[in-house]
Amino acid sequence: MLRRIASHLFWTARNLERAEWRARLLDVNYHLLIESPPRDAQPWAALLAIFEERELFAQSYPTADETSMLNFFALDTDNPNSIRSCINNARNNAISLRHYISSELWLALNTLYLNAQEWTPEVFVSPGVFAFFADLKDSFYRISGIRHGTIPRDLAYDFMEVGIMLERAEDVARMLDVKYHFLLPLVEDVGGSIDMLQWASVLRSASGFEAYCKRFGNAIKVENVVELLLFDPTFPRSARFSLATLETSLNRIASQAPEPSAPLSQLENLSALTRSKRSREVIKSGLHQFLVQIQDGCAALGDEVFQRYLKSD
Amino acid sequence: MAATVTETGNAVPVWAAYKSDDSVFDEMLDLSLNPRSGCEPVTDALFSMPSAYFAEICARADAMFRRMGVTFNVYGAADGSERIFPFDPIPRVIDADTWATLEAGLIQRVRALNAFVADVYGEGCILSDGVVPRDLVLGCPQFRRAAVGIKPPLGNFVTVAGIDLVRGVDGRFYVLEDNLRTPSGVSYVIENRVVMTRLIPALLRSCRVRSVERYPADLLQCLMEMSPTGRSKPTIALLTPGPYNSAFFEHVFLSQQMGIELVEGQDLVCVDRKLYMKDVHGLRQIDVLYRRIDDDFLDPLVFRPDSLLGVAGLTAVLRSGNAAIANGIGTGVADDKAVYAYTPAMIRYYLAEQPILPIVETYLLRDPEVREHVLRHLDRYVVKPTGASGGYGVVIGPQADENELAATRERILRDPSAFIAQPVIALSVHPTLIHTGSGSGMQLMPRHIDFRPFVLLGVRPRVLAGGLTRVALQEGSLIVNSSQGGGSKDTWVLEA
Repeated sequence: MLRRIASHLFWTARNLERAEWRARLLDVNYHLLIESPPRDAQPWAALLAIFEERELFAQSYPTADETSMLNFFALDTDNPNSIRSCINNARNNAISLRHYISSELWLALNTLYLNAQEWTPEVFVSPGVFAFFADLKDSFYRISGIRHGTIPRDLAYDFMEVGIMLERAEDVARMLDVKYHFLLPLVEDVGGSIDMLQWASVLRSASGFEAYCKRFGNAIKVENVVELLLFDPTFPRSARFSLATLETSLNRIASQAPEPSAPLSQLENLSALTRSKRSREVIKSGLHQFLVQIQDGCAALGDEVFQRYLKSD
Repeated sequence: MAATVTETGNAVPVWAAYKSDDSVFDEMLDLSLNPRSGCEPVTDALFSMPSAYFAEICARADAMFRRMGVTFNVYGAADGSERIFPFDPIPRVIDADTWATLEAGLIQRVRALNAFVADVYGEGCILSDGVVPRDLVLGCPQFRRAAVGIKPPLGNFVTVAGIDLVRGVDGRFYVLEDNLRTPSGVSYVIENRVVMTRLIPALLRSCRVRSVERYPADLLQCLMEMSPTGRSKPTIALLTPGPYNSAFFEHVFLSQQMGIELVEGQDLVCVDRKLYMKDVHGLRQIDVLYRRIDDDFLDPLVFRPDSLLGVAGLTAVLRSGNAAIANGIGTGVADDKAVYAYTPAMIRYYLAEQPILPIVETYLLRDPEVREHVLRHLDRYVVKPTGASGGYGVVIGPQADENELAATRERILRDPSAFIAQPVIALSVHPTLIHTGSGSGMQLMPRHIDFRPFVLLGVRPRVLAGGLTRVALQEGSLIVNSSQGGGSKDTWVLEA
């Protein structure tokens, strides 16, 4: 497979996954604020901090209010990581893939892209924030389903998996970080009823509420939420699951090389990180540091993948 | 000399308005509106079809093209789909005898043109012998100094040729122009046939129409025969300018049908005078490159330095003989409109044969006497710029107004050698389904058509038994280009 094609597959998939997580995070944050009224003047600042987009935001928006934040994170194409920008990137990469992917996949992606071009701030009034994000999530599920149902399990599938799983592992870590930023100054609330509501909505935004209840019962404990989202080997949005899938795909790609090559140095570290630890341990030693480790590991592995397989000059 | 089809028995109103016209050649019906040789089964079928059926097959054809994705690239289209090349389901029939002559004429012509290109970039015998003027060839805009001295495998500069033919009032096929650079359209030939086999299978079978589906396999065979390395399984790739090119569908289609990699310039790299593509597992050497981009963009070291479409060092690779390219660099020198005037002489010179296919009388305006004559009667001629292709810059005298003629005259006087003049050819016509009024009403009407058959050169020549018949859907229009309201028809070459 050509490096250019592999790169388009990787970035199409990765951008879609990123758009989906952005939608999930925004959705979570918005609903957190409804159920727990803001305690400080800039309740949205945590999101900006997590994405390190404070400066970019300040260039175009005077205040971090709800309307500005929704615009900035969802619609603004001056923000290279807004949901719309990610969808545009995904589709622009996919234009060169029309002969590699199924026509159904192209059609679903192109439809999402064309719809995204029609978005205005009005969508947050009608159909409204909840319906907008629910609809968006459906589009992502449709695309994901078509990908699973129509793409042969060859290099094309694996390079898409690599893009998705790298992004997913990084973003689940990021989402837990958002939650922690929120609670850090207010230790007295930990374990309180507002806190539990918030953790439940984190689970819901990762589509993990039912999976949680099935494994741990309906009592929401921080330790167990972290266990599910980081260390569960069976939950498809956990960091561990994502990294294991990533490892499988990267190994399959490597096995097809004409000559054996050295393993990617970050791969083993990264998957060992989620394989060998438990939530109690990392919460005790510092969850934030652990999440940063995962995010940095994903970035470093992404660089390695780029250098070895995707870079073409 | 006009007659109208009389409706018999099963009344067929689609023919009601069809008239014969002795100023043009009708490919399907003679002046008494009787079917020509080979056309009987088709006209019989057309006469007996209920008229509602025509609208139905048009709609079905349309849906099939859309489903197959046989489209132009219009990415901004609001409905997220693309435009399809208008298709007329009434086939154009060429009987076996006519085809045999055409095929022989096409092979003869492409062999001579290829010999000419090889000669021009090799020893230059035809120029030394004064058969074609040296200054005409060296001054031709498509002459590429960089190709001098390149010796392609099999001596083939031309691997794929698309020869545009028109049929005059006398019923003879004339060569209108040669396309020897990156001729396109063959994917429509193949897809048109796929649609026809689903639309009217019984008629197609009973007519014993020759298949066109082998073209990709034949092209692949020719490309493999050009491999300079002698490897049993040469690596072949198709070089495209990318998804925004209007012919991208065809590039995708051919690469898929041949099972070869579709590459862009950024996928390629030249190292040690060898050509490689950048695979995820390392560099993979390419033996033969089927390129669908113009010379000017092929190699920024030699041609346009700003080109991102090609690959630096390609010319040196070709010169070293470590890879082959189809078509070769500089083949445009043989499809130049002024050089065209010498093509019959080339056939005599290289093959010692008489030309089988006539060309259109051509006046080189660099000759003062000829120029004076043409300028005096400019409204009777078609004036064409010599270096262009695809109908660009063509002025049709009888249809041009005073201002246009004056401007053309000025352009000719400024640079006479950049133009040629030809008498206006009355393109033949063919019954074509035309929407009339509102709703699904359809009528058969005569519309102008041309013909582009495809010739392949490998170890031996191969002619695709068929070709692209383009039809001008506007009444009276002579312009068959898809960008200007042209469509296409399936072309049925009958078994002997």
